Amino acid sequence: MNEKKVVEIKNLMKSYGTKGFSTKVLKGIDLEICRNDFIAIMGPSGSGKTTLLNILSTIDKPTQGTVLLDGKDITRASNKELSKIRRDKIGFIFQDYNLLDTMTLQDNIVLPLSLNGVPGKTCIKKADELCAMFGLKEHVKKYPYQLSGGQKQRGAACRAFITDPEIIFADEPTGALDSKSGKDLLECLKAANDSGRAAILMVTHDAFSASYAKDVYILSDGQMQCRLSKGSDRKEFYNRIVDMQSSMGGDFSCV
Amino acid sequence: MRMMKLALMNFRSSFKNYLAVILSLAFTILVFLNFQNIVYSGIFDGLGGKNKEYIEIIIQVISFVLGCFMFFFLWYATNVFLTKRKKEIGIYIFMGLTNQKIGHLYMIETVMIGISAFLLGIGAGILTTQLFQMILLAISDITVEISFTVTGKPILITAAVYLMMYMIFAVKGYVNIVRSSVLEMVSASRQNEYVKQKSSVLIIKTILGVVVLGFGYYFAVKEGGQEVMGNVMAAVVLVVAGVYLLFGGLIPFFFQNLARRKLFLYKKERTLWMNQVIFRMKKNYRTYAMTCVLMICSVTALATGFAMKMRYDAIIHFRNTYTYQFMSSKEGLDGIIRPLIEKDNKIIYSGEISMLMLDDSIVDTRFNYGGYCVLPYSQLKELAERVGLEFDIREPEDDEIIKASHLYMLSLITDRSKETVAIDGKTYRQIEDTNIPYMGYFQEMMSFYVVNDKEYERLKPLGEEMRTYHYGIEDMYNFAASRDELDTLNDITEEKIARVIIDPNSSDLEWVKVLYTICIFMFMVFILASGSILFMKLYNDAFEEKERILVLRKLGVSGRTLKKSLSHELKTAYALPFLVMAVSSYFSVHALEKMMYQNLFVLYLASVGVIFAVFLLYYHCSVSVYVKNAKAE
Repeated sequence: MNEKKVVEIKNLMKSYGTKGFSTKVLKGIDLEICRNDFIAIMGPSGSGKTTLLNILSTIDKPTQGTVLLDGKDITRASNKELSKIRRDKIGFIFQDYNLLDTMTLQDNIVLPLSLNGVPGKTCIKKADELCAMFGLKEHVKKYPYQLSGGQKQRGAACRAFITDPEIIFADEPTGALDSKSGKDLLECLKAANDSGRAAILMVTHDAFSASYAKDVYILSDGQMQCRLSKGSDRKEFYNRIVDMQSSMGGDFSCV
Repeated sequence: MRMMKLALMNFRSSFKNYLAVILSLAFTILVFLNFQNIVYSGIFDGLGGKNKEYIEIIIQVISFVLGCFMFFFLWYATNVFLTKRKKEIGIYIFMGLTNQKIGHLYMIETVMIGISAFLLGIGAGILTTQLFQMILLAISDITVEISFTVTGKPILITAAVYLMMYMIFAVKGYVNIVRSSVLEMVSASRQNEYVKQKSSVLIIKTILGVVVLGFGYYFAVKEGGQEVMGNVMAAVVLVVAGVYLLFGGLIPFFFQNLARRKLFLYKKERTLWMNQVIFRMKKNYRTYAMTCVLMICSVTALATGFAMKMRYDAIIHFRNTYTYQFMSSKEGLDGIIRPLIEKDNKIIYSGEISMLMLDDSIVDTRFNYGGYCVLPYSQLKELAERVGLEFDIREPEDDEIIKASHLYMLSLITDRSKETVAIDGKTYRQIEDTNIPYMGYFQEMMSFYVVNDKEYERLKPLGEEMRTYHYGIEDMYNFAASRDELDTLNDITEEKIARVIIDPNSSDLEWVKVLYTICIFMFMVFILASGSILFMKLYNDAFEEKERILVLRKLGVSGRTLKKSLSHELKTAYALPFLVMAVSSYFSVHALEKMMYQNLFVLYLASVGVIFAVFLLYYHCSVSVYVKNAKAE
């Protein structure tokens, strides 16, 4: 396949603590993410998921290895460059939505774009488009406190997509949602990914959420243990993920 | 005891955070103590006359104002502190502490802050008393010996007033905590459900605010007679209410409408700070209004002080036009008086004029001052030319009259058009009211009216004509030297001659100078206080913003962008009260201008300029502290 590589991770290592007493959290990770990918990373607590996500999203720096984001090595970029990369190339979805409660949903969605200096007209047009896609059209004028958890998270997703990033990092996006809202969100994310808006890297505990991805990587003890790829059927994929979980020693989502 | 230890630990660890509160409280104590000390220091004992009495009244009034101010300031400071602490120590509820225990903890911490501020304030206060007195006397231009004395009484009074007020608010905080629900204490990051205000409420407040404020301004500058006092009172109440309504209505309404225009809103940082301003406005509008009112008061106080000083200087100048003035029924006394004066003093100008003293019963004016005299136009013109006073009054017609009045410290009558004077049944139209001291000190004692020569002759039979003689000397401070010669005047002429000798050091108005200085101090105190209040409020807000800022950081918003947005937000917080103050105080100063006949526009500009500079300083401090506290960088 001749797809554009968005992220290339090579031999990524991260250890915490001082010399002699350090703990290795990531022990050499290699991963390639292409423009059309929708990847879920699963793993028990302490497996290094959050560390990996933090490094990818430029919040943390690795001890060793490189991360190329759209061809640029983010482990060697200056703070100013990192800020620009975060702004232009990456979109974030957090577990607890992180919408600003002082603004309407529309203002929240538009914020990253408007801060980039994009003209108001374009902002509104893009926001309308995304809101239609995520089923939020009637809610744009509402404040976060007037929205349900699912609506908020879909709003947060719109905000992540509005800058047309290369990749979206989603950290347990369904963690705070009921199953119906979670499903709605995942459907939307999937649709957005299918339409080629951005690659998605999602960290999750939940096998159901993971089954919406195209590939699932299982991270354990700082290493990628295995990779599962979706066939044509999501339910069958889900079963495979659950089987894998149990074969690896219990349902780590409960850890 | 364990409680004590915990409180002490808390106090120590967050001392930095309390510093703003402690310093502001200490500052209020310092100011209060200094004013109290003046009352008991006895530095004005030597001023004599009514001066000491007046000054003491002024200082007592100011102390009362300061007391009220302290009360509100303490209320405010403890309230801000309470909200902040409640959330921080509320967490102890999970460790099994009861509300009472948490309240107890709060009380101990509050008392520690109170005591620290008290000690700091009293200590700094004692150290600055002499400096304060020196500055006060220097600006007042009063020479009195001062020594470094601190008596117990002012300290006791300050301590009593402060500690009593402080305890009230500490107990109030305790009761508040005891009565709080668990949810209230722990939900520090509760969602804000009151971001936007209801448009209908805002519109009502807006209309009401504009009308009330408009009427306030109108009453402030409306010219009138004795009803002016009532107008001024109405203006004060209306402007205060109007300012509150403005911040609660028009301003949020305006911003909300702007935010609704998305094409306008979505312009870089504006999306962020405009929404923040709207959100903060809902929570802070009372603070903005309070600082605004405080600043209007301070500008007015300053303008009053300056106007009084200007009037004082003018009155002194007015009085000192002539050093010697004589009045007699006999003409041609100049030849006798002149040599007597010239024995010890050099006459630089002199003049004489006849005047007709009328019986009060035949004169009818609007306010019936009494002591009416009529002057002939041509003689007055001649006098003015001889003594070198400005004279640009046209000759009155037969039914016209000109008033020559003296300078008042303050006049409540601002409308002087269409005045009429009736003398012996004939009504004259007053065409002018001059303040030029043609008649010197006499003009302060009597009411002079100028008529044309023909009318003067006609009126002559109605009163008693007197000849007055006026002398200005080179060195007016040498006035006493000629006294003994002049004492012989009555014997030489065998006439009854009324005599006035003006002492330029006469100090029955010395209190005005003290008032003037105190006004300057009040201005500075209130300006610093308003700045501090805003600063404290924003300082506190910064902690609430932490979470929001963190979200923005996570989204990849750069520190620079955040700082820009915060700067805009804080700029608005300082600019709004400033602008409303600038407009409102223009009207209050204008009202003063009318009552005190002084041009205060330059002073108005200067005081607004000073406030601007102070606010600019506070704004920059706020930005750096805010950025630090909210961890925006």
